[in-house]
Amino acid sequence: MATRNSFFANPKPCEHLADYKLRHGLSGYKSIQKWLKANPYGNTSIKMCETKIPRCLFCSGYHQGRLFLCLICSSVSCSDHTLLHTQSEYGHDIAVDIERSELYCCLCSDQVYDPDFDKFVVSKTFMDMPSKTHDSVIDDLMRRSSKRRRLNSVVDLDLKRSKLLVSMRDRRAKSCYPLGLRGLNNLGSTCFMNSVLQALLHAPSFWNYFLSERHGPETCKKRSSDQLCLACDFGVICSAVYSGNRTPYSPAQFLYSWWHHSANLASYEQQDAHEFFISVLDGIHEREGKDWNSNKDDGGCQCIAHRVFSGMLRSDVTCTACGFTSTTYDPCVDISLNMDTTNFSSVDVASKSVRPNEDTGRSTLLACLDLFTRPERLGSDQKLYCQNCQERRDSMKQMSIKRLPLVLSLHIKRFEHSSLRRSSRKIDWFLQFPFSLDMTPYLSPSIVRNRFGNRIFGFESDESDISSEFEVFAVVTHSGMLDSGHYVTYLRLQDQWYKCDDAWITEVDERIVRAAQCYMIFYVQKMLYCKANED
Amino acid sequence: MSVPNEDNMSPHTQLSSHFLGELLDSIIVDVASECHRIAKLGLDRNSEEEEEELRLSAQARVTVAAPSHSCETNGKYVVDIFGQTHPTVANEVFDCMNCGRPIVAGRFAPHLEKCMGKGRKARVKATRSSTAAQNRYSRGSPVSAYSPYSNSTGTHKLSNGTYNHTVEEYSNGTCEEP
Repeated sequence: MATRNSFFANPKPCEHLADYKLRHGLSGYKSIQKWLKANPYGNTSIKMCETKIPRCLFCSGYHQGRLFLCLICSSVSCSDHTLLHTQSEYGHDIAVDIERSELYCCLCSDQVYDPDFDKFVVSKTFMDMPSKTHDSVIDDLMRRSSKRRRLNSVVDLDLKRSKLLVSMRDRRAKSCYPLGLRGLNNLGSTCFMNSVLQALLHAPSFWNYFLSERHGPETCKKRSSDQLCLACDFGVICSAVYSGNRTPYSPAQFLYSWWHHSANLASYEQQDAHEFFISVLDGIHEREGKDWNSNKDDGGCQCIAHRVFSGMLRSDVTCTACGFTSTTYDPCVDISLNMDTTNFSSVDVASKSVRPNEDTGRSTLLACLDLFTRPERLGSDQKLYCQNCQERRDSMKQMSIKRLPLVLSLHIKRFEHSSLRRSSRKIDWFLQFPFSLDMTPYLSPSIVRNRFGNRIFGFESDESDISSEFEVFAVVTHSGMLDSGHYVTYLRLQDQWYKCDDAWITEVDERIVRAAQCYMIFYVQKMLYCKANED
Repeated sequence: MSVPNEDNMSPHTQLSSHFLGELLDSIIVDVASECHRIAKLGLDRNSEEEEEELRLSAQARVTVAAPSHSCETNGKYVVDIFGQTHPTVANEVFDCMNCGRPIVAGRFAPHLEKCMGKGRKARVKATRSSTAAQNRYSRGSPVSAYSPYSNSTGTHKLSNGTYNHTVEEYSNGTCEEP
């Protein structure tokens, strides 16, 4: 948000800090800069002398908790005696916490903040970093993010055109309900397919593309005798579902095409909805992707599947010995999240008989996202080669999101397979998920900035990054056992929730959705959500 | 954790206890300092919105668990929103695109499996269309390069808790010197 950004870049100083700045400017900061020592994933501390430990001027203690270095006279006092120092030397109000390099106002007895000080800390950190790391780390932070995904004009055109087509359709049947709501017949354990299809059929800008016939039998180059096209078949389902006809539709042709595409998944048994989802997007990409220039630098593949669902993940691997960080970017069409296993209530922990796979566990989506972006210490059996150290080292790894897609698909890994025990199980915990989701804390700039102690530096963009706010529009839930469960999709249209259980479409209260056992959650950028729902 | 009685401790124990206390204090201050910075600079998440979502969710669970909601959780539908009812097994009939025979929708998948010659119990059918279909099986894995970390191995998803890093070495080839 705009207010948040400006607040971050310009925190209000206390009167003592303001006064100090007037009198001494940046000289104090400059003088201690040489002593700053940064630790990757840790504190930046002040090391004045290699051989001696700093002691408090008044009590000679060095283990009395925090030690503070006066910015004017460089004398050291412990937390008990900072007040004494400022009383004995007039104007010596501002000090620095030696262990954490944080400004401290002795009169306010509080930690204070100054962007100028942070800049000194950060530039010293950059100076000390192994050379090549410098560029990749400041990449996201210093330069303006120009790659922010905007609703391009093509998407806008699709929206308008499809809305027109939809409004022209037959309105005989049940016109009070939004068009596009239509049950899908279960063809024999195909609820995994129906549930994902319902989500795709209501993914903003995805269904509009197909309904506007931007991919159709005439334009499709793959449609010759016996050649199947998942994109064409999806287009057919799209037209059928938005036709105004309310009797349940049988997506038989689509199943047939899909089994040809995904031979290894083709069998009459319950499949995993998430695998189906990935496989369908891949199939549509294959039919579409070759018509466009793939791997263009301005955003990769331009097929409809990737334009709507594809984002970019960033992975930073840091050598724990020297701090050298290697950054790689990978595109992704969804994010698979592990459920945070540490989230037990105190009652569960106390009774030792409760194991994690009992129904008592619960978690939240934000906790899973936190887990996804948490720095992870790679095991000693996973030592990676560090270019700077020229040998294999223990490393830390951290994921973050470089670019968000238009439609964010989150997959909750509820199915666990243990190769050790040769068994699989389903995690039945309840997962709380928000209807409105702000992804800002999981974006690369936030994550990397956090790694550097949340220091204020770089060009903070004044414009609010509205493309990080998302609204849920579809939830695929799974109930029952691992092999014999049932998938159901909840759709949110015009602020009303509908339950799509194969052929049955019913209205439900939002509380049912909140309490449901989610497996895949589909969010769309708020801007697009509002546009799609205005009527 | 019980706090040891200071009087009964040997100097050695006292000292170790003292150091432990200091280490803990230091960690606590670390966390406090970080949170203080985050809060003062306004970096903390929209905690009101988050709490509202949590509250709504908790409320929803309570409502849904109540006995009056059993009709919803039962799963038995009377009519859908369009006033229609549907049988357990979908009874629409259409022609199979592989063999041409009319099939009941609810039994289409098992039929197609045998018809296309897939599955354990199916016999291989020597019709023109299924042979042509079988020639297309030699396609590679359906998981494209665009989902590198999604491990598709059948119906069971592997959950090893870590993202498999796709590079084995540190490499920063994409960045240029300023």
